[in-house]
Amino acid sequence: MTRLGTYLRALALVAAALCAAAPLRAEPAVIFAAASLAGALDDAVAQSGADAVISYGGSGALAQQIARGAPADLVILASPDWMDWLRAGGHVTVSTDLLGGRLVLIGTGAPLPDPDAAALLARLGGGRLAIGQRDAVPAGSYARAWLQSLGAWEALRPHLAEAPNVRGALTFVATGAAPLGVVYATDAAADPRVQVLYDIPADAHPPIRYPAAALSPAGTALLEALRGAPAFAAAGFEVLE
Amino acid sequence: MMGLDAGAAEALRLSLWVASLATLLSLPLALGLAWLLARRDFPGKGLLNAAILLPLVLPPVVTGYLLLLAFGRTGPVGRTLEAAFGLVFAFNWTGAVLAAMVMGLPLMVRAMRLAFEATPPGLEEAAATLGAPSWAVFTTVTLPLIAPGVLAGTVLGFAKALGEFGATITFVAAIPGQTLTLPSAIYNALQVPGGEARAAALTLWAIAVAVAAVLISEWLARRMAR
Repeated sequence: MTRLGTYLRALALVAAALCAAAPLRAEPAVIFAAASLAGALDDAVAQSGADAVISYGGSGALAQQIARGAPADLVILASPDWMDWLRAGGHVTVSTDLLGGRLVLIGTGAPLPDPDAAALLARLGGGRLAIGQRDAVPAGSYARAWLQSLGAWEALRPHLAEAPNVRGALTFVATGAAPLGVVYATDAAADPRVQVLYDIPADAHPPIRYPAAALSPAGTALLEALRGAPAFAAAGFEVLE
Repeated sequence: MMGLDAGAAEALRLSLWVASLATLLSLPLALGLAWLLARRDFPGKGLLNAAILLPLVLPPVVTGYLLLLAFGRTGPVGRTLEAAFGLVFAFNWTGAVLAAMVMGLPLMVRAMRLAFEATPPGLEEAAATLGAPSWAVFTTVTLPLIAPGVLAGTVLGFAKALGEFGATITFVAAIPGQTLTLPSAIYNALQVPGGEARAAALTLWAIAVAVAAVLISEWLARRMAR
């Protein structure tokens, strides 16, 4: 009984200390951001001098968390579709395109200029082409659009390794598990183990846009502060006005 | 199948196949390891125990990444197995089975080891003294005594194999018909605007399979107790 009493008293003391300490800490702004921004966005926040924490995830998961009341101040997605979905649900009123991106074919070895289905299959040599999941990951649907524009989608479809996000596709190529992959130029630049074999033309798929929306006054200020950060351009993003 | 489009039904079938095969293949392995850990002392026992339990403690994504490094096309183990037996794990349904086995094994070994330890070795020794050969001691004395523990471990292992997501998707991606299991299909459905209905149908099926597995194990446990 005495031991339980001592334990409870200690617990109450800890709880009181935690409650007292909490208000001393200024609440940082919360950013929900697409996984493909990891790295560049951290640098941009540091450059802007803002006090913010970032939660990275898939665009779909982030959008659904926000629709269910996640306490984000700013959201940056990799997919205009999910931003439209948030706007249709009334969770977001205004959004702007913050960044643009490019798609590249990665792998190792010699560059692959003007690839077609036969050239891609030859280079795969029985291996698989790593892309983001074709329906679930924006980079995957852009990769599908490019392969369709080449007329290579049907031939390549049985030879895909579809990852849960674009960084997963990068990992498959970087570890040698897949000989080729389609990722953003920014992902390719982030990993020295892979080489860009081919720059995929921008007109071969829908434009790659990262829409951003502020969900609070703090978010609006943060979005303005991030706009000029040089880290985005340094990482290979196209900075949109 | 009810409420499911062709792709979702394929994911459900694949999941049941992968989880069942992983559980069946793990069963003798887990039984042997549990016996070794419960009944024998040898150098490196602590290390073996830690290695078996590691997937339980590590984040599943880490386990999947380690599997990718070891059993991938360029991994040391993956390359050797492909050269020796033509056995390919990378981006293949066999890889999904391997991931499910690795993730389920610690739960199976743990439950079975406790069952071995709860069985007094005196009974086995008595049977041996009376002249029973060791296989007869195991099948007529030990196995009936540890059966509830074996069943509990098997159910846990099957449950883990069926729900396994992180290690599988990191190791062998989500290829329809090969490695796109039920959890991956639900995850993917939730990543597409308007995919909730598909996710909900798959979730109901996942719940149905889980409930069926629990009911079957309860029924088996009652039969054993009799």
